[in-house]
Amino acid sequence: MQSFLEYLKSNVTPGQAGDPLWALIYILIIFGGVSLVVMSMNWLERKALAHMQVRLGPMRVGPHGLLQPIADAIKLFIKEDIIPEGADKLVFWLAPVVIVIAAFTVYIVVPFGPTHAVTDMNIGLLFMLGVASLATLGVIMAGWASNSHYPLLGSLRSSAQMVSYEIAMGMAVVSAVLMTSFAGGSGFLGEIYGTGGANPAGGTLSMIGIVRAQEAQHIWFVFKFFPLGLIAFFVFAVAMVAETNRTPFDLPEAESELTAGFHTEYSGLRWSLFMLGEYAAMVAVSSIAVTLWLGGWLRPFSSWHGPVITLDSYWQGGAVDFVFSLFPALLFFFLALVGFLGVVRMPKHPLFRVQTWGLAAFALVLGGIGVVLLAPPVRDRVQDIFWFTAKVAVFMYLYIWYRGTFPRYRFDQLMRLGWKFMIPTGIAVLIATALVGVLA
Amino acid sequence: MTASQVLRKIFLVDLLKGLALTFRYQHPKEIYTEQYPLQRPQVAERYRGAPRLNVNPETNETLCIACDLCALACPEHLIVVSSERNPNTRRKELTNFTYDLSRCMFCGLCEDACPTDALELTQDFELASYTRDGLIWDRKTLEEGPEPTVYKK
Amino acid sequence: MSESTTRTDPILAFEEKKDPTFLDATELVLNMGPQHPSTHGVLRVILKLDGEKVLGTECVIGYLHRGVEKIAEHRTYAMFNPYVDRMDYVAAVSNGLGYCEAVEKLLNVEAPPRAQYIRVILTELNRIASHQLWLGTHALDIGAMTPLFYTFRDREEVLKIFERYCGARLTTHSFRIGGCQYETYEGFEQDVKKFCDFFEPKIDEYEQLLTTNRIWVQRTKGVGILSGPDCKALGVTGPVLRASGVKWDLRKAQPYAAYKDFEFEIPTGQNGDTYDRYLVRVAEMRQSLRIIRQAVEGIPEGAIMAKIPKVLKPPVGEIYHSIEAPKGELGYFVVSDGSTQPYRVRVRPPSFVNLQALNKMVIGGLVADVVAVIGTLDIVLGEVDR
Repeated sequence: MQSFLEYLKSNVTPGQAGDPLWALIYILIIFGGVSLVVMSMNWLERKALAHMQVRLGPMRVGPHGLLQPIADAIKLFIKEDIIPEGADKLVFWLAPVVIVIAAFTVYIVVPFGPTHAVTDMNIGLLFMLGVASLATLGVIMAGWASNSHYPLLGSLRSSAQMVSYEIAMGMAVVSAVLMTSFAGGSGFLGEIYGTGGANPAGGTLSMIGIVRAQEAQHIWFVFKFFPLGLIAFFVFAVAMVAETNRTPFDLPEAESELTAGFHTEYSGLRWSLFMLGEYAAMVAVSSIAVTLWLGGWLRPFSSWHGPVITLDSYWQGGAVDFVFSLFPALLFFFLALVGFLGVVRMPKHPLFRVQTWGLAAFALVLGGIGVVLLAPPVRDRVQDIFWFTAKVAVFMYLYIWYRGTFPRYRFDQLMRLGWKFMIPTGIAVLIATALVGVLA
Repeated sequence: MTASQVLRKIFLVDLLKGLALTFRYQHPKEIYTEQYPLQRPQVAERYRGAPRLNVNPETNETLCIACDLCALACPEHLIVVSSERNPNTRRKELTNFTYDLSRCMFCGLCEDACPTDALELTQDFELASYTRDGLIWDRKTLEEGPEPTVYKK
Repeated sequence: MSESTTRTDPILAFEEKKDPTFLDATELVLNMGPQHPSTHGVLRVILKLDGEKVLGTECVIGYLHRGVEKIAEHRTYAMFNPYVDRMDYVAAVSNGLGYCEAVEKLLNVEAPPRAQYIRVILTELNRIASHQLWLGTHALDIGAMTPLFYTFRDREEVLKIFERYCGARLTTHSFRIGGCQYETYEGFEQDVKKFCDFFEPKIDEYEQLLTTNRIWVQRTKGVGILSGPDCKALGVTGPVLRASGVKWDLRKAQPYAAYKDFEFEIPTGQNGDTYDRYLVRVAEMRQSLRIIRQAVEGIPEGAIMAKIPKVLKPPVGEIYHSIEAPKGELGYFVVSDGSTQPYRVRVRPPSFVNLQALNKMVIGGLVADVVAVIGTLDIVLGEVDR
């Protein structure tokens, strides 16, 4: 117990502390958390997409479909495992495993807070991009092992798409990394931007370091060297949608086109692994975007602390800090309120009694979490995780929003967009950032 | 391209307009789904659903005069009207009336042809049956309507 | 029998060659089989591909053939009326209109003006419903999922009006030979006006979602080009013809059923590509609203059924009468031999003739375009196969 509380006061990541037990605990928490996020993404996607399409989405399995992902998971687990006759059994088995491993390994360096990461490699960003690229290998393996020309064509297309947009992602990412090394300057542009010029601490590839650089420079990189940060962010935002095969770039998995995609021959548990990998990859690239441009775990206006106020033994610090520190609890209270509103509006039919009580219990649990988040030790520790997760959640909603609105690109148009527009823009932004940073 | 067109292209105005539209549609008042078993659809009065042989409400006698016009009008020839002549009143009286619902296309020609208001297509549309024979309705089912099993649980 | 299928069926022929290195072959024969999420109905398209480029297509139809024309020879004229709805089941009212008008011409009677106005209102509502289904499914093929639900919601409103008027939503059997069977119900004009007011801003919404959307424009501009002379040579009619620049609409060229009383325009396109066909159909919906508004204002009083004998025995003769269905020129060729049953009813389905243009439109394009072009032709297999 003592070592537990001791550890809670540490301010290094378990990797840096060289503590394998805590590293393991963090890994398990992250694994469970990402799985939970994937399941709730599944539910949210169906509900949000349905509401955009003037319909309701799942309503029967659990109140407002909240238990639908569990039902789907159970169904997929108990499905028959079909392996095509001519398929290469080892590769067929290996492909979803590779994708899931690639998707989950990147979470080692994702910084949920200044010390809330499993480890903080000083090449963290490079590690993330490299391991995420391994998913392409999994896609090709899936298509090849299926021994059928539809999946093969689909997987070749999908991997070509992923590879092309990785280059664009790389360009955008490098320009963000460059910004970490441009901290203070007194040149002409430095007067306009208020920042720039070589950073005596030097640039960094470490994920936590990038966020600390934003913290030190008091600016989120999306706003730095305006509009360069914004353009780089935009390039990355488009490339990350293409990287994860989502609309409007989801031709390889589109059902209404000819090739049904690389996961045609997969059924049951194997297919669910593909879905797990896809959603995990979505969260992973969103967290890269959030870390690099949107300030990671920093709350909005992180440099503004406000006057110091004291509230008994509850709070001692800046007023603005205090207001922002209540946000997590307030969010959960709001969700609980929405839940209770749903309870009130449930049909008053005897068949719905179980659902009504279930929803009420769920809303109570949410409220309880909100109350727990008001307790000072939890409140202080959870701030960073909350803001990081909130920003990633916004990205997830954007994914769903795009899916509900845009038609999809044809494959040649998709490739043309990636090579002829995204990569030149990325290179231009890179060069411009470098110039501005040096001249500042 | 004019300046405004260039600006619209750069700032993705067209895409943002589409996004704004779908965002607006998330409001709960736009939801168009009817949750079926609880909310049954309101069908119109003229809806051509399950057939019914009407009876006179006071005397409980059938309104059908066994004129066989409906059977002659049906494109699928699925109505069979059997009757016998009553020696006293010298009129035809209906004995049995068979309606094959499995082949019926609910066109309404039988309803149009009936000179009295005996044969009528009602608003009942929940006509599922577990057997093919269950869909061949005799006079009793036509007069009283199908008795669907109501499940309590 | 198997000999001839091996010779004619390209898929079997290809497999006969048993080429194990199919990736090396310059030509790949791919089967977009009858069960497919995007061919609208059971249409089988055999594609000859070179990588992604389409070298040739072959349509195999007949999966929905029900022998409607043969049935007609064994039913009386009035009995055949319900069968006609089932051909183009998406827009059933216009099928009925074409048939009833053809037989009326044969009998040399004309429906009274009130019946004609009611017919025009229902047919134009039906045109809107058909175009809405087309828009939803076409957008779905191209990838945008949401317009499908919006258009089906609008279609619901039209179908509710049909249900209140004649009792059925889809296979309406709304008209009879000689006029209309049903008088307009209480509140018909209000419902139709309410629908027009409800629907007009919705067209603007669809335009907001799709017309200027760069992805949509890229997917549909320059895809499936069919020039005016090609249309005329292939016999293509309807919005496809009008989008290629030919200003031909049977409602203006050979007016029928009270259309000469109304003022409306014929939208035409210039390039004959998918984008133009989309614009033409959306503009047609607006014109339909215009016609409906005018018609509802001016429904004359009077009878709804002409005086025709109870047992219809048209004089010996033949007639071809065509109307502008939402999909093109829908024609009925009715041959009477003086008895109560027609000797022959031949239907000229617009989708069948338009489908012949698929080959010309798709050669040189990509596989993804085949799906878009099938969608833009707006075919209904019930009509193609009958």
